[in-house]
Amino acid sequence: MDLETVLSRPVPLDRSEGILRGALLTRRAGLRRSWRHLITRECLESLGALAKEVESFLSGEDAFCDWRFAVTFTWMNFDASFTESLRAIALARKVEHRPSNTGPDRLSLAKFNTLSRNERIEVLCDRYRCPLNIGLPSESDVAEELLRQLMVPDRAKLEAGKEFDVDFVLLKLNLAGVRAMMTRDLRFLDALNYFYELPQRSLVRLRASPHFLAFWLCIYGQLLCTPEW
Amino acid sequence: MRIAVIAGSIAGGLRIAQEIENLPGVAVFVVVCNAGKRAPVLRWSREFLLAFRSFKWRMLATTGYRYAQLRKLIILGGRLDDETSIEHLRELQCDVGLHAANVIYREPVISAFRLGILNAHIGILPKYRGRCVAEWSVLQRDPTGETVFFIDSGIDTGDRIVLREVIPSKGWKSARALKNMLFACDARLYRKALETLMSSGFSLQSNDTSKGQRYYVMSRLFTKAVNKILATTPVTSG
Repeated sequence: MDLETVLSRPVPLDRSEGILRGALLTRRAGLRRSWRHLITRECLESLGALAKEVESFLSGEDAFCDWRFAVTFTWMNFDASFTESLRAIALARKVEHRPSNTGPDRLSLAKFNTLSRNERIEVLCDRYRCPLNIGLPSESDVAEELLRQLMVPDRAKLEAGKEFDVDFVLLKLNLAGVRAMMTRDLRFLDALNYFYELPQRSLVRLRASPHFLAFWLCIYGQLLCTPEW
Repeated sequence: MRIAVIAGSIAGGLRIAQEIENLPGVAVFVVVCNAGKRAPVLRWSREFLLAFRSFKWRMLATTGYRYAQLRKLIILGGRLDDETSIEHLRELQCDVGLHAANVIYREPVISAFRLGILNAHIGILPKYRGRCVAEWSVLQRDPTGETVFFIDSGIDTGDRIVLREVIPSKGWKSARALKNMLFACDARLYRKALETLMSSGFSLQSNDTSKGQRYYVMSRLFTKAVNKILATTPVTSG
């Protein structure tokens, strides 16, 4: 039998799928019990009106939004700000997006990586004002670059206990999570798994950006109870 | 054909050299580099430890002595991409290098070999590039196996594939055991790749990176799931 035949041969799905789903739901139960280790009372208070929603979302019943249908759009517009859109997605709320037939020009990664830290954050928040756009096929190169940055240099810094850019890392984790929601690409979900498993001494530093931290955990919570990976 | 095994330890280099040294028309060199940039005391302690752990220290000593006498055992003092090291490699005038060291190859090192450097990658290319690809293959219900290809300076993006071989994961009860088994296949697969390269009518396959993805180190959550999938896979299953 040649290699192409072997690679295309269907293999039993049920058992592996069951094991994966079980692992994800167990992690979701763990997150429900322990998210307060990450978002402390002070951190929660700094979220203001959002605090109650985050608390009930993370401690409550499983909830998730299925965004797979949006992958077919060319681009999506959203009237609210990036933070407001991300908040709606994180809390599995309805997002009033307006599909468009035209999107922005392709983002040059070579140019992007030469920008300052503030400029990069600005470019990402502006381009993904409707964060669902990170899940579109046209954004694969950007998404792959953000995943690479998370899983190679950022991961190395956090594991070594070195200084890292909290806002930028959390922004990338949020976008990776949204990409996972839309594409069901396990690699993007596993980036969230990996960062969630990092030593507490590194994770507590994420409290410096309470809103992005709360959104990240809510998106992670949704991904963990999402079926059909 | 002149072959150099680029190894991170003498024991590791000799293990591969012994597998291929009897191929007709092949001259083998072992180039040992100081991949971890270790101090001399640490480096040589590690060498002795690796030789001792292999339980073949007597055979390794004999073979090592033989290679040293024939000036086929080259121990590099500096980094692999130092100008002196690259000059050493060029002087060997090798056709092919075999990757057996934990290093990233820069273009000057790769081009010191007429055809390039082969890597036995423990995943099926082009689909699985990067790290933990054996685990990712199990998790995504794809066949496990290896690909021997000529590297470039990217991460498993070298365009020329010499061979791909499916090696089933069944019977291996953990990700670690599966990976150790796959890593241990390198010498056999290098031999097979060299035989293939020297055979008439052979053509290289293309590593079309657009048909695959780069994978990264796997989380503990997913690694546990992979271990569970492997542990509960019936040995008789396909």
